[in-house]
Amino acid sequence: MSGSAYIPTDEELANLQQLSREYEPEVTGPLVGERQSSTAITTEYANADPVYRVKTAALPSKYSHFRTCRGDGNCGWRAIAFTYFETLIRLGDINKFQDEKTRLQSMNNLISSIGYSEDIYEGFQEECWDLLVALANAIGNGNAAQVLLENFNDMGVSMNIITYFKLLTSAWMQTHSADYMNFLLGQTVKSYCTQTIDPVNSEIDNIGIAALSEALLKPIGFALDVLYLDRSPGEEINVIHFGATENDALSLPYPRPTLRLLYRPGHYDILYKAEDIEVQQPIPSQAPLHVALAAGYTDDFVPMDSSMSDVMTMIPGLYPTGLGQRWPSAPYDYDPIPTPQPQPQVAPVPTYAPPPTAVAPVPTSHQEYATPVPSSHVNHQHHSTHHGIQLQPPVSLSLNHPPPPLTIERGGPFRPSMYELEPGFHSGQQHTLPFQTSIFRNSHYNTAHFLNPDFQPEEWSPDAEYSTSSRSRHKSSSQ
Amino acid sequence: MASNLSNTRTGNVAQRLQKELMDMMLSPSTTLTAFPDDENLTLWTATIEGPTETPYAGLTFKLSMEFAPTYPMTPPVVLFKTPIYHPNIDFSGRICLDILKDKWSAIYNISSVLLSLQSLLGEPNNSSPLNAEAADLWDKDKEEFQRKVLARHKTPEEL
Repeated sequence: MSGSAYIPTDEELANLQQLSREYEPEVTGPLVGERQSSTAITTEYANADPVYRVKTAALPSKYSHFRTCRGDGNCGWRAIAFTYFETLIRLGDINKFQDEKTRLQSMNNLISSIGYSEDIYEGFQEECWDLLVALANAIGNGNAAQVLLENFNDMGVSMNIITYFKLLTSAWMQTHSADYMNFLLGQTVKSYCTQTIDPVNSEIDNIGIAALSEALLKPIGFALDVLYLDRSPGEEINVIHFGATENDALSLPYPRPTLRLLYRPGHYDILYKAEDIEVQQPIPSQAPLHVALAAGYTDDFVPMDSSMSDVMTMIPGLYPTGLGQRWPSAPYDYDPIPTPQPQPQVAPVPTYAPPPTAVAPVPTSHQEYATPVPSSHVNHQHHSTHHGIQLQPPVSLSLNHPPPPLTIERGGPFRPSMYELEPGFHSGQQHTLPFQTSIFRNSHYNTAHFLNPDFQPEEWSPDAEYSTSSRSRHKSSSQ
Repeated sequence: MASNLSNTRTGNVAQRLQKELMDMMLSPSTTLTAFPDDENLTLWTATIEGPTETPYAGLTFKLSMEFAPTYPMTPPVVLFKTPIYHPNIDFSGRICLDILKDKWSAIYNISSVLLSLQSLLGEPNNSSPLNAEAADLWDKDKEEFQRKVLARHKTPEEL
């Protein structure tokens, strides 16, 4: 400070003002905290103003847990980076970590194209690779979550990874400038990145979140929900979606694994729904998750394994190959004593905005099969599936909401019979099921057969006999 | 924080600076030089040439750079050792440049800092001057500005 004597007073004042502007209180607490019940947030706001109180009171019922991030000016970046790795762990697929490394590496040309040579950022990038490898190894040992938490609480590791993700965001924005320039209020994308994305102590904003979601999350089918807890009117916290949506036809996990952040002005924390933190069975590398979901998969045989987490995969109507092909495998699946599947099996579905129709579970849980099929078609497949109720007892029980409308709708003196449960039959070739064949009618698959567990003597009905197709056409159009 | 950082790959400031030195020696610039102190790798001395077609053309400026253990997560402290007359540099050689303060990014390095300083010489930011008189003269009287620049300048030998 020997030179200070030369400084005119106003400059000194300017300096002081600058210093006070830059002052940030010493922040404490772990960089990323342990997961805890979100009732803590409600308690925190119990004495706050009514808007906050109402909004936070509703929080724990939807988002059971949360995790704090240290408010050091990078909490949003850190929260997204942390949950990105955490979601990879949740998928439980060891191969995915290598895939991600390969994918991110392929984005180096984006970074080069904005003028950074690899030796400037390779250190940051390698930190990310190291963590991916460490997590893949830790999944086998069952302690991946702990390894992740430890790494992110190392300031060096988490800052290196944040720096790399910032660079990725910056490169993405500058190579997709047309997508972002309209949001920058006249600032160029380049100067926005220099001023807002690149700096070490610059918190992520909405534009940054959108760009990082596009670059990092969307390509692997991850979605990001940010809940904004503010004084805006309303009883619930506003949610903004980023990243992959239900409509992205990606051959990727579905429902979209979702990262969730809670934003309070100036600060981000991590939120969880109850279903996000269910313990997942680690999937061994020789049987990765994506094999079962691969687009080319055909429905030759689906084992009725009770460990199968998603019963939806067993619904034959979901596959474009149609119900007919399902038949050869039916004997393997046949279970004379159907055990009702508990509802929580379909719990992941409500994570996403429930589509308006009754067939919601079908497209939501198996987008990759359902997308190519027009929605009306899906409808039929779904219903014909349901009407295989006697043939696929465990499956149909998990979907047992559709039948009541049908029964009620029919009215009349007749009890349900297989002839009335086939509204999809009219719709085309692929629905020519063996219901009418003599082999079927004489087999125990027919409820009229005494060996059928749902044995139901057939009643003769002239209507049913002669107007099956017109009746079902009427019914399906009325749905 | 510093001890945490030094355990990690880029947190090791000595390693990082070693690497930067190597890079600069492999692709030397005609208008920039930078070398570490013989005994302390975190203290560097750099020089930049004044850009052509500016009042600083033909002049060489010596700078000191000091790297904290947290580099590159924190910017180096850079000072002009050669007396300089410039709107954004005070008479103690302190520099007002956003990328050396709150806009510092961990992907900057010694070369990018020196290049930024070089362009600052030719394009001062007159809206937030440290030297108000210089900012005023830059806009109003380039000749007087040039005269003051030369009057204040010292060659490295004179320092």
